[in-house]
Amino acid sequence: MKIATVRVLVRLLSVVAVLVAAASVTFFAQLLVPGDRATTILNLQNGREQEWTAAELAPVNQRFGFDDPLLLQYLHYVGGLLKGDLGTSYTQYQSVTSVIGAQIGPSLALTAAALVVAWGLAVGVTLLTVKRGRFVTGLGSGWETFAASLPTYWVGVVLLVLLAVKIPVFPVIGGSGVWGTVLPVLTLAIPLAGFLGQVTRDEFDKVLDQPFVTTARTRGMGDTAVRLRHGLRHAVLPGITLSGWALGALVSGAVIAENIYGRPGIGQVLVTAVNTRDVPTVSGIVLVVAGVYVVANLLVDLAYAAVDPRLRSHARVATA
Amino acid sequence: MTRPTNRRPRLSRVGRIAATTAGLALAGQGLTACGSDTVSGAGDRVEGGTITYAHVQEPPCIFGGWIQQAYISRQVLDGLVTQDEDGSVKPWLATEWTVSEDGLTYTFTLKDGVEFTDGTPLDAAAVAYNFEQFEKTDLNGTAKVSIDPYYKKARAIDATHVEIALNKPYPQFLTLITQGYFGIQSPTALKTRTKEENCEQPIGSGAFTVEEWKKGEEVVFKKNPDYTSWPSTAKHEGPAYVDELRWKFVADGVSRYASLTTGQTDVIYEVPTVNWKDAEQKFDNTIRYITPGKPVSFYVNTKQGIFTDKLVRQAFAYGADRKGAVETGFHGVIPYEGNPSVSQSTPDYDSEAADAYAFDQDKANELLDDAGWSEKNADGVRTKGGRTLTAKLVYGAGFIFTTEGATVLQALQEQWKEVGFDVKLIPATMAELWGGKYSDPSTYDATPSYWTSPSPAILWIVWRPSTEALPNYNNRSFYDNEELSRTIQAANSELDPAKATELYQKAQQIIQDDAAGIGLYTQNTTMAVANNLKDVWVEKSQGEPIFSDAYFVE
Repeated sequence: MKIATVRVLVRLLSVVAVLVAAASVTFFAQLLVPGDRATTILNLQNGREQEWTAAELAPVNQRFGFDDPLLLQYLHYVGGLLKGDLGTSYTQYQSVTSVIGAQIGPSLALTAAALVVAWGLAVGVTLLTVKRGRFVTGLGSGWETFAASLPTYWVGVVLLVLLAVKIPVFPVIGGSGVWGTVLPVLTLAIPLAGFLGQVTRDEFDKVLDQPFVTTARTRGMGDTAVRLRHGLRHAVLPGITLSGWALGALVSGAVIAENIYGRPGIGQVLVTAVNTRDVPTVSGIVLVVAGVYVVANLLVDLAYAAVDPRLRSHARVATA
Repeated sequence: MTRPTNRRPRLSRVGRIAATTAGLALAGQGLTACGSDTVSGAGDRVEGGTITYAHVQEPPCIFGGWIQQAYISRQVLDGLVTQDEDGSVKPWLATEWTVSEDGLTYTFTLKDGVEFTDGTPLDAAAVAYNFEQFEKTDLNGTAKVSIDPYYKKARAIDATHVEIALNKPYPQFLTLITQGYFGIQSPTALKTRTKEENCEQPIGSGAFTVEEWKKGEEVVFKKNPDYTSWPSTAKHEGPAYVDELRWKFVADGVSRYASLTTGQTDVIYEVPTVNWKDAEQKFDNTIRYITPGKPVSFYVNTKQGIFTDKLVRQAFAYGADRKGAVETGFHGVIPYEGNPSVSQSTPDYDSEAADAYAFDQDKANELLDDAGWSEKNADGVRTKGGRTLTAKLVYGAGFIFTTEGATVLQALQEQWKEVGFDVKLIPATMAELWGGKYSDPSTYDATPSYWTSPSPAILWIVWRPSTEALPNYNNRSFYDNEELSRTIQAANSELDPAKATELYQKAQQIIQDDAAGIGLYTQNTTMAVANNLKDVWVEKSQGEPIFSDAYFVE
């Protein structure tokens, strides 16, 4: 019991360490970018590129503490982090927590839905097309290669023109409503479904040749049941591993779908913040994305255990 | 019709200008914009409703010194004066004004009884407070630079009279304060609320108030039912017809235009040039307004590198078909502008200066030979004393230059190559450009940029030489010309308008003769309006969209 508690604590601490490390690396990486933060802030306020006099820069430097030694700025930032304070946005004059808080909901909804839909598409196509004769199989793998190679922006615009303009089923500018989320979700899900489908198909194809599948068939099990009960379990494992990566990539890649469909979200905020050298906001968002990765990997571990019975005896240790 | 209360000023001052009456104020209405038609009468007016407007860029605050902020703050803040179609300055919060004979003192009479939406009075003290803040704080840096160093101080004489004193005569002062940057805010709100609150919900006296800002999505404005301070150029008296204005941010051009054609928005800003012809056919009201000020033109580094030689600068101007590239790149929608310092819609524009340096590669070759760049290396690039004729051209990718703009630059790059220039196109992100990566003379040879302004005094803001006492970081050509400086200063303080015009045009000639800048294209406001929405218009000073007169028809 005590050992388990210690393990949980160690695990939690390592999570915190990962997050702080991610935020710290981002913090310093941004300071390495050439140019001056106070200058950027003034240029943003005034919509132009120019230099400013020391007298004009002084109040900005003072307000945000840019004059302090870098180490002090960093310690101040990390100290805030440990108290749950992500700092104040340089450009929006509000706390990074509230900047992110307002945008994280639509982003998570979009990425989670995209991942689910991508899985649905990938599994569906795999089940329906693997080892179904040369033509159907070719159709399935052809679709996957095609989908995986599509640029997200192109998918978004084509979906927009087809399903919001030519056949106006969905709104062009959907905001964060449910109906307006459909096309952004498909925009992100289709290329991802291609990737997931490729790895799932490969594995599925191998599994169907395994002796235990033949055994199952000789027991008189139907083809669909074989595919669902025996094939799928094996086939989804590499895809699940990929999902951990995909979820994080979706959060940061969502900006394209957000842009096309005029949708709020963290992707757009991140791009703007990087552009305006809003260090606390960028670090805060990286922190959140890192958090998503950590959670996603935890879920991947759990999902492995659920899908693969061989791992179950170790599962408790793995997740403790 | 608007009839400003024409009070006699209590102080007898001479040199009375522009105490405008209503008839004059509304004469000559109707947008000069191409294809725009704001004649009402089609269908019956519907009371209320919501205008959904799709804009492009989301600013960090509702007000500020960026043009994007002028557009949006115009919906909530009123100005002292406004600009009419013919360029004249007309009453707004100020019903009339006098200028002292020496041109140093402006006395404005304010409309009586105007209140900010927080209930505090918009009186002379409030106006004086705002002007003092413009000059002395970071309230609005572009307002400040527009009146520097002419502005001296502002003070309230009584509740309805405010006096603004200048250091030197500056007749352009009135025109300059028509810009959205000079919107008047509630001093109580500025003093008592946090920066964040003022940034998100500035308190003015305008036709709308900020209800909610859903970041990344839209700003929701509600009609100000107690609106009393419409400008004399308004198309109707009284509060806005519509109840609500939803100002959406739709960065992508394809979806912005699609949102209008599918009826999901009522007005869009920046119609993609590929869709312009289609928009003109589909919509009764399409607006294309060339915003005055400095056009999108190249600053050329006259301090360091190949462009320190005037002949090379001139060869650069002759060497590529800028006009052709602009027409092709923007599908004939955005006009070419040959005058690098002042755009064609700006008062006192010199069209003769704009005609200089028409595409002529023979001339370019000749000039380069004369300048000693007569050898060519294996790549066809001219050389001189072991140096190659290389120009680093830095441009703001994605925010100053659209993809179409970048195409124009690529076309020009090819043509410059033909005469022996090796032009390196360097796309700069906002973080790099605004962070100062390319501010040092060693970092670029040419960089294109624009600056909207309703006045030729933009020449002063951009081109005055940089001195130790008054550094000018806007002069990105690092062009230091004493004669130019004297000419612009004389123009700024010239009380005779005809003489001022002559001087401003001379300044444009000097810049063009010396090729201290190279023209490219005009900065535009383009909009398309749904057919059931009438009286959406664009104000003259900066091309800000106005929705307070707009109404839906059956």
